[in-house]
Amino acid sequence: MNIDKAKVVKAKTKKVLGVLITYCILVIVAFIFFFPCLWLILASFSKSGSIYSFDGFFPKEYGGEAFKALFTDTVMYHYPKWFLNTLFIASMSCIFGTLLTILTAYCMSRFRFKSRKAMMKTTLVLGMFPSFMGTIAVYLMMTQFNLINQHWGLILIYSAQAPMGYMVQKGFFDTIPYSIDEAARIDGASNFTVFVKFILPMSKPILVYTALTAFTWPWSDFILPKMLLIDKDLYTVAVGLMSLGETEFARFAAGSIFIAIPIIVLYFCLVKYMINGMAAGAVKE
Amino acid sequence: MANLSLKHIYKVYPNGAKAVNDFNMQIADKEFIVFVGPSGCGKSTTLRMIAGLEEITAGELKIGDTVVNGMEPKDRDIAMVFQNYALYPHMTIYENIAFGLRQRKIPDIKRDKKGNPVLDKKGKEIKIMRHYNKQELDAKVNEAAQILGITDYLKRKPKEMSGGQRQRVALGRAIVRQPKVMLLDEPLSNLDAKLRTQMRSEIVKLHKKLQTTFIYVTHDQVEAMTMGTRIVVMKDGFVKQIDTPKNLYKYPANKFVAGFIGTPQMNFFEGTLEKDGDKVHIDFKYSDAKITVPYSMLMKTTPQYLDGTKTVYIGFRAEDVTLDPDKVAESTAKIKMRISHSEELGTETLVYGDINMDGDGFAETSTRVIIKAGGFKEYSPDAICEAALDIDAIHLFDMDTEESIMPRIPEYNYLDCKVEKGKLSFLGNLVDLPPAIKIDDGNGEMLLPVSAVKFDGNIKGKVIDCEDINGQILVALEVNGGRLYALSDKVLGNGEVKIGIDFKQLILQVGKTEVQPMPTVNGLDGTFIMEKPIETITENEKTKKKKMPHYYLLVNGTKLEAPAEVYEKMFGATTGRKVYNSTYRYEWTPYDFKIADNGIEAQVIEVLDYGAEKFIKCSVGEETLYVLTDNTVSGVIKLVPDVSKVSVVESERQIRIV
Repeated sequence: MNIDKAKVVKAKTKKVLGVLITYCILVIVAFIFFFPCLWLILASFSKSGSIYSFDGFFPKEYGGEAFKALFTDTVMYHYPKWFLNTLFIASMSCIFGTLLTILTAYCMSRFRFKSRKAMMKTTLVLGMFPSFMGTIAVYLMMTQFNLINQHWGLILIYSAQAPMGYMVQKGFFDTIPYSIDEAARIDGASNFTVFVKFILPMSKPILVYTALTAFTWPWSDFILPKMLLIDKDLYTVAVGLMSLGETEFARFAAGSIFIAIPIIVLYFCLVKYMINGMAAGAVKE
Repeated sequence: MANLSLKHIYKVYPNGAKAVNDFNMQIADKEFIVFVGPSGCGKSTTLRMIAGLEEITAGELKIGDTVVNGMEPKDRDIAMVFQNYALYPHMTIYENIAFGLRQRKIPDIKRDKKGNPVLDKKGKEIKIMRHYNKQELDAKVNEAAQILGITDYLKRKPKEMSGGQRQRVALGRAIVRQPKVMLLDEPLSNLDAKLRTQMRSEIVKLHKKLQTTFIYVTHDQVEAMTMGTRIVVMKDGFVKQIDTPKNLYKYPANKFVAGFIGTPQMNFFEGTLEKDGDKVHIDFKYSDAKITVPYSMLMKTTPQYLDGTKTVYIGFRAEDVTLDPDKVAESTAKIKMRISHSEELGTETLVYGDINMDGDGFAETSTRVIIKAGGFKEYSPDAICEAALDIDAIHLFDMDTEESIMPRIPEYNYLDCKVEKGKLSFLGNLVDLPPAIKIDDGNGEMLLPVSAVKFDGNIKGKVIDCEDINGQILVALEVNGGRLYALSDKVLGNGEVKIGIDFKQLILQVGKTEVQPMPTVNGLDGTFIMEKPIETITENEKTKKKKMPHYYLLVNGTKLEAPAEVYEKMFGATTGRKVYNSTYRYEWTPYDFKIADNGIEAQVIEVLDYGAEKFIKCSVGEETLYVLTDNTVSGVIKLVPDVSKVSVVESERQIRIV
């Protein structure tokens, strides 16, 4: 009996220890993750602004001046304008990019045509190259099209590149039984009707996912806007922030935090749609 | 409400796999057709080709009087029920059923807001196409829902319903449009056994109520037997037999059908048949079992199997073998067997045994026997007893081809004959042989095809029986005490008739000489080409010069212009330019040729005079052709075939295109 009790205590201790270790690791990892973020938030509330006036790692004094300056001191750095520019580019790219990606994925999932497999392989291989490898080519092309220093040039590039990552969406469409398409076609629907009335309503989760990715990329991209936008008034937030002077670190930090907010809000609003389960009841599983 | 016609339907995938091979069938209006067969036999593919969801590689599909080969599914006026229901998950049941109606327009006349017809300048009603309105939709959906008992669920979504209810919705969606043809692709295979039986009878009821043509695909032979008015049994893309459930069960055309239809499976033994006067000895292999039956019971058996050397499959159904002592005592066809075990099923008991005393009765061998006995009867294992076979229900199949060797319509009449000085005597009759048949004098055999017995001539016979077998009428004749089978195009009353022989179909063997029938098909290899000469044409009252394409069959250097119905089918069966790069076998009957000044060059070998008709036997390259003629010719002739009657087989894939 005594032996049994000792065994139970030993097992319990082992379990508690295991949980403790797991939590320790999690805390450490979380700290590593959140530290830069935390530091940025603290820096944004710095009173002095310059990074050189910090007391070691953290600011000496705290205050909300940097945030105020973002929206009031617009002579040199027009943050609200940059913000609207970014919003415009990201929203437009999101709309066109999503549309193109979904249509591409639908085509690849549902239709069988010559060179379909070759095209799929090509896009897969092309997708492996980092996108900035083509920057010079893109720059030359944009000059030819006379789209340098224009938002539509950026939107065009973002929208055109979005369908390259159609694989995830195609994977989702592949899970929607083909017999639903066939039933609808027999009922008299055209390919377009099938897409709009059946595939799209059943694909809300993947639509949301596509839209989010299509939005966040232009929202946070730096290289392309830096290369294509010349006028300060046309800058996106990322490029604009980069142009801030050395003494404006607090404002830089504040601008960075402010730009993160819409994405977080967007994510929280849309996350419920991303939960799968729309196809339940359609067919016998 | 329509009949269907499927002619030489093929489905060949790009990798060369043939899913459906030469499917031919005529489906009458209001029939309930069941396609049945094991997985991968092509039954679903055929159904999907009818639906338009799968392209037809070659062949002609008609719904009603319209060829629908290239037509979209929605334009074929069909409805389909899928195995996995394929309901629209984001729509309510009402919307699911109504969707098909919403997509369609109906003819009507233009009306004003009060509902009065609007008239045009001439005072005529204006015809328009409009969508169904709300009231009409409601009425139609409710009617369909009522038939299927799902009125209470119309506001629900598919995921809130059980499997059986979902299948009802799928049926409702199909019937609401009142299609010409209902296609059902294994609709019950996802339901549990009890629900399946219930839905089975409901579908039959639905068929009676709707009076529409139903085509139903299943792998379950019980479903096929209970539901179909006619059943198509398929295997590996080939149609094995098309017939009514009763005929399939009673007269299976091959071993596959015999084994597939009926539970438990038919007992197959191997054995030999030996004719001995008016008796036939049946000797079972791997066992001591032997029975003797009167020859009259095996009249239709192909005689070459009756020599005691050829092994054949002998089939008996479980219910045609009995252990009942009274029946065994009476029977003349008894075999000894050892019982191995039995299965009690309530109403009946399945007794397993072996006619080989060393066999175990479990493995599916050619000595195992399963017997259907009465319910709750005890049979002690290892007991040796006698079983009686019902010889009337015997089935015999060839060992290699597995085809029945006692077909309902025998191919030949096997007769003894004698040839003397150009005269043939058989069954006590003497007839003149036509000059085309050259054979030595002596005694021999003749194989007279049933189709070669014509109802005009000098030979006296007596009709003793007339049987309609799937539209063909088989006439049993008595000629001087001997039996002769013939095919007729109408039912004949019993009594005297006069018959003759079509000599060109006759096979004769006398001494060492032999006469073979004249081939009915002339085949020539060739290609397909296009030419675009510049022609002057009149279009919209303007004359202009334009390149007009012309299509030709190229046979032995001769161009034969192909009519539209021929080249359209050839284009339909091939993709891209492959039609010009393939070789084809063009086939014509001997009646489709004309001798002309220009055409395919042929060297005359001889002229065959069959009395009523004369044929030229000639050679074109390496091929031998037979061509009908009125007069005697010799040397080199030029032949022009009737291109509209051509039959085209693509050589590479071996598919019949035209």
